[in-house]
Amino acid sequence: MTSNVPTTYQEVFRTDKGVVYQCDASYRLILEFWNTRTQFSARDFAHFRRMVETIDIRQMALSTAASDDVEILTLPRSERCYVLTLCEIVHLRELLNGAKLMLDLNSMLRECGCTLPQPA
Amino acid sequence: MKDLARLRTAIKESVELALNQQIQMEMVSSSKYLAMAGWCDRNGLDHCAGFFYKQSDEERHHAMKLFHYLCDQGATAYSPEVPAVAQEFDSLRSVFEGALEQEVSVTDSINRIIGICRRESDYATEELLKWYVKEQMEEEYIARRCLELIDQIPSDQIYYLDKKLASVTYDGNVFDE
Repeated sequence: MTSNVPTTYQEVFRTDKGVVYQCDASYRLILEFWNTRTQFSARDFAHFRRMVETIDIRQMALSTAASDDVEILTLPRSERCYVLTLCEIVHLRELLNGAKLMLDLNSMLRECGCTLPQPA
Repeated sequence: MKDLARLRTAIKESVELALNQQIQMEMVSSSKYLAMAGWCDRNGLDHCAGFFYKQSDEERHHAMKLFHYLCDQGATAYSPEVPAVAQEFDSLRSVFEGALEQEVSVTDSINRIIGICRRESDYATEELLKWYVKEQMEEEYIARRCLELIDQIPSDQIYYLDKKLASVTYDGNVFDE
């Protein structure tokens, strides 16, 4: 999936399970996870991150009910949904929180009048 | 790299979250005051019922002011979930004690959000919240004064007490001088 990345995409954060890009041309954030690529507006990305953040993984870990084995997440403004196991949720959280940290860092640098170096 | 979140809104995520929690708190207050108004109405305390109906409307207005602010700034305002509130009270005193407790928790919450605004350098939201600081000073005064009157007026003069409680206002706002 990562082999055919458009040139307008800038990598925000990467783990071994996925990657988040930003496209300045389309004002979109792109989540690559679980062999899918999903585009979000900044608002939807924040909304989706909160959805993932508020999943009760403790309940999933402790419950023996089959319904607690997976969590179904409907993506904002999309017909696609993620069906995630506990491990996948932890990986997705790591990816989204890392991306948020880098986006916050970009904001802080801009507030100080600095910018992150552009990719070659 | 463009700052997409900043282009969407000037409000930081932490402030947006805190304001949405405040919207919920104001709506819960509105619901609690409505329950108090209903109790007063059922028990023949017409003036106090009127006082709490008005308070309930005011709390909803406070919530809507924040809701519109978030929408106007490009942030996301969520219509809040309002849990069930108590419908029965032991006495008129316990009604006003509940009102004071609610106002104190709202004041604490406003102060906490101002702290977040200062940490995030969000001066616009802080400016908006100054209105709430003044409003809370007034609300707490009224609730405390009502409890004082309940202590001062003999309980057998219930009609006079009902009228007197509903007429309490705060006209000594030092910020308006």
